[in-house]
Amino acid sequence: MSETGVIHDIGYQRYAGERLGRLAALNALYVHGLRASFGLGRSAKAKIFPWLVAGIMLLVAVILAAVRSQLKQVIFTYVQFADQMSWLIIFFVAILAPALVSRDMRSGTLPLYFSRPLRAADYVTAKFAALTTAVWLLLGVPQFIMFLGAAFTGDDGAKGVWNEFLDLAPGWGYSLLWALLFSGISLLIASFTGKQAFAAGGIVAVFLLTTPIFGVLSILPSTTANEMAGLASPMTLIAGVGAWLSGNTENTLDPGRFGPVYGIEAVCLIAVCLLLLLARYRKVASL
Amino acid sequence: MTIIATEALTKTYGGGVTALADLTVAVDAGVIGLVGANGAGKSTFIKIMLGLVPPSSGTVRVFDLDPVTETDKVRARVGYMPENDCLPPDVSASEFVTHLGRMSGLPRTAARERASEALRHVGLYEERYRQIGGYSTGMKQRVKLAQALVHDPDLLLLDEPTNGLDPAGRDAMLALVHRIGTEFGISVVVCSHLLGEVERICDSLIAIEGGRLLRADRISSMTAVSDVLAVEVADGTDELAAALTARGLTVSREGRLLLVPLESDAAYDRILQAVSELDLNLHRLDQRRHRVAELFTTKETADV
Amino acid sequence: MTAQTIDAPTGTATTGVIELQNVTRWYGNVVAVNDITMSLGPGVTGLLGPNGAGKTTVLHMMAGFLAPSRGTLTIDGKPTWRNPSVYRDLGLVTEREAVHGFLTAGQFVLACAKMQKLPDPAGAARRALELVEMTDAADRRIETFSKGMRQRTRVAAALVHEPRVLLLDEPFNGMDPRQRMHMMELLHSLGDRGHTILFSSHILEEVEQVAGLVQVIVAGRLAASGDYRRIRRLMTNRPHVFAVRSSDDRKLAVALIAEKSVSGIEVEATGLTVRAADYGSFTRALPRIALDQGIRLHQLVPSDESLESVFSYLLEA
Repeated sequence: MSETGVIHDIGYQRYAGERLGRLAALNALYVHGLRASFGLGRSAKAKIFPWLVAGIMLLVAVILAAVRSQLKQVIFTYVQFADQMSWLIIFFVAILAPALVSRDMRSGTLPLYFSRPLRAADYVTAKFAALTTAVWLLLGVPQFIMFLGAAFTGDDGAKGVWNEFLDLAPGWGYSLLWALLFSGISLLIASFTGKQAFAAGGIVAVFLLTTPIFGVLSILPSTTANEMAGLASPMTLIAGVGAWLSGNTENTLDPGRFGPVYGIEAVCLIAVCLLLLLARYRKVASL
Repeated sequence: MTIIATEALTKTYGGGVTALADLTVAVDAGVIGLVGANGAGKSTFIKIMLGLVPPSSGTVRVFDLDPVTETDKVRARVGYMPENDCLPPDVSASEFVTHLGRMSGLPRTAARERASEALRHVGLYEERYRQIGGYSTGMKQRVKLAQALVHDPDLLLLDEPTNGLDPAGRDAMLALVHRIGTEFGISVVVCSHLLGEVERICDSLIAIEGGRLLRADRISSMTAVSDVLAVEVADGTDELAAALTARGLTVSREGRLLLVPLESDAAYDRILQAVSELDLNLHRLDQRRHRVAELFTTKETADV
Repeated sequence: MTAQTIDAPTGTATTGVIELQNVTRWYGNVVAVNDITMSLGPGVTGLLGPNGAGKTTVLHMMAGFLAPSRGTLTIDGKPTWRNPSVYRDLGLVTEREAVHGFLTAGQFVLACAKMQKLPDPAGAARRALELVEMTDAADRRIETFSKGMRQRTRVAAALVHEPRVLLLDEPFNGMDPRQRMHMMELLHSLGDRGHTILFSSHILEEVEQVAGLVQVIVAGRLAASGDYRRIRRLMTNRPHVFAVRSSDDRKLAVALIAEKSVSGIEVEATGLTVRAADYGSFTRALPRIALDQGIRLHQLVPSDESLESVFSYLLEA
C-alpha cells in the first residue's frame, strides 16, 4: 500500500458563478429590511418592540374575532380597526424607520452600498417597500384574523365567506394606504439624521403637531374648514380618503365634496416623500 | 495590461473648485500606489472610477469600460475599501460580508461561501461570529478588506488601509495587500500617505498634486541606485572622514553617514582599508537609493 | 525657517523635565499603566507602543487630566494633577479634538492666548501662527482646512504660551507627506531650542527621523528607553543580522564562519545573510577579513537595526 500525501490548494479562488443583477440585490435588501423590521437577524433587544406591537394588535384582533363569532357583534369594521390602531402604527414606524435608514447613515455604511451596482433608487425602493410591507402585515394579519372569526362562524356558508371577503379586501386596501403614507413620511424624516432617537422623536412630532391643526379646523364655524380639516394631519387624511372612497362617513370625518382632494393629497404626499428620499440619497450616494 | 486609462480627465465642482485637472495616466496591472496631499484629488479620482461622479471633461476607462455609462459592469469588477469608519456595530462580520456579497449580486449560497472565504483570507477566524462593535482597529480594517473581496473583483481600491494600525498591524496589512496583489492575481490601488509603505509593496506610483499629475512611474525607476556610497561606522566618524579625504575621496557628511561619490570601484577598496586601519566598527556600506520621498521635497507650497 | 522665533527657555538643565516615579494607573481591574519610571528632558522623545498599551493614559497623566493611582508624576518638580499652574509650561495636542469650525485659525489661537492670560495675546498668537507657517491662512475658517492645517492650528494653540513642555498624541495621523515633513521640521527645531517634546506615533520610520530618544510601552509597562540603536545593542541574546554582498560571497562566507563572533550564515543568490552574536567583534573583523582574503566588499546593510525591528523584538520579549 503506497503512502500518499496531498497538500490541498485552499488558496484564493476566483468566482466564476452567476452574478445576478440589480434586481436581485434590491430584492435581497428588501427582504433584509423586512426581516430587520421585525428584529429578525438582529439582537434580542431589537425584537421586543415590533413583536410587542404585533402582539397587541393580534390580541385585539383575536378579541374582535371572538366577539364577532360568538356574539355576532361588529365592534370595529376592518377600516375602523386600522384607524384605532393608528397610534401603535405611528410608534412602530417611529422606531423602525430609523432602524432601517438612520443606522446606515450613522455607521457610514452607505459608501459600501453605493460602490456596488446598487443605485440610490434601488436603495430607497427596497427600504420603502420593506417598511410598507411590514406595516401592511401589522394591519393586514389582524384584519385577516378578524375575517376568519367572522367568515367561518357565520350562517351563510360560502356566500357569507365571500361577502365577508368583500369587506376585507377594501380593509386591506385601506391598510395599504396607511402603510404607504406612514412609511414614506417616517423614512423621509429618518433619512435626515443618523441618530435614531432624534429621528424617532421627529417622526412622532410630525404626527403630533399636525393633530391640533386638524382639531382647530374641525371646530371652526365654517363647513368648508371642517371638511378640509382632515387634510392637515396624515391620520385624518387617510380617514378622509377612506370615507370618500367608501361613501361611509359615520364615525369618521366627513370630507364632503372635498373627497377627491383628499385622494389627490394622499397620492401626492406619498410621491413627494419618495422623490425627496430619492433626492436625498442621490446626494449622499456620491460619497 | 492597462487597467485604468485616463485622458485629460478634469473635474470641477460648482464654486470653481477644481478637483482634478487634465490628468492623463495609464495604469498597468499590479500594485499601484496613489499618493498626494489631502485634497489633492485622490478621493475624487476614486469616485470617478466608481462612477459616483461624472467627469467634467476628459475620459476615463476602467478595464476598458466607461464608469459613467457602464457603471454596473465597472462596479462589479471593482472592490472599494473606504478610509473612514463604515461598519455597523451590531452585526457580525460574517453576516455583514455575506449581506454585502448579496448586494453585489451574488446568489445567496455563493455569497455565504465567498464571505466565509474572504474572511479566512484576511485572517479573521472565530472572531467573525462576534459583533463588529467589539473589534479592534486591525480587525475592522480586515472586515473592510473582506467586503471588498467578497465579489471577486479584478481591481481593489484601498483608501489608507493601514490607518490607525499599530506597527504590527500595519505589517500584517501590508503583507496581506502584497499577497493579494501578487498571489491572488488582483490589481490593487493603494492610497497612502506613507511613502515607506508605498515603496515597500507597490510596483508603480501615481502622485497627484493639486489635481494634476506630479509623477507616474514604476517604483523601481524611482528607487534606482545613485552613484553615491554611504558609509556608517559605530564611532570615529570624524577620523574616518579625515582618512578618506587623505586617500583622495570627496567626503560629505549627513548625520551619522559619510557620503562618497562612487567614481570607480577603487572607492570600495579605499573605504575598507581606511576602516580597517583605524580599527573601526563598520556598520553600513551601501549604494544610496533614491527614495520616493524626494518627489515631495523639491516643491514648496504655502497652503499645505 | 521662520521670521520670528521662540526664545530658547533659559534656566538650568532641570527646566522642562518630566519625571515619572513608579507611576501606576488602574481602572477597576484593568491596569492601564504599570509601574513606570522615566525621566524626559529637553529634546524630542518618541512614545511608542501597540494600540492599547497605555500611551494615551501616560500622556493624559502628564497633562494633568488623570491622577496616577500610585507613584508620582511631576514636571519640574511640581505634580501635574490638580495643579492648573502647570499649564503655564505645558502644551497638549490630543489625538482627537473637536475645534469650533466657525472660528478662523487666528481667532482660535487668539482665544487660547487669552485663556492663558498672556500679557500680549495678539502678539503671542501671531508668533505661534508664524511658527507653524499658518500666517497666510489665519483668516480662514477652520472648517475649510485640510487635516494637516487643522493639526498645525492646534499645535499653534498649544504653543501660544511658549510652554517648555509639549505633548502630542499621534500628531501625524492623516497628514500627507509634505505636511508631515513640515511638522517634523517644526518639532525638530523646537527640540533643538530646548523644549521638551513628547509625541506618540505608530509610524516608526518617522519617529526614527525626528526623535533622538524613544520610550516604548508594552501592555502598560515601560519596555525600553533611550536611543534605539543603543537599545538594539543591549539585546545581546539576539544576533545582529546583516546583508552582505561582495566580489566573492562564498569565499567570504567560508572566512567569516571561522570567526567566533559569527553564529550563522545563509548563502543566497542575492548575497549573504550573516548573523553575528557579537556586534562589536564582527563589525571590526569584517573589513579586515575581506582585505586579507582580497575580496571587495560591495554592500553591508544591517537588516534589523531599524526602529521597526527593535520595536518588534521588544514586543516579543
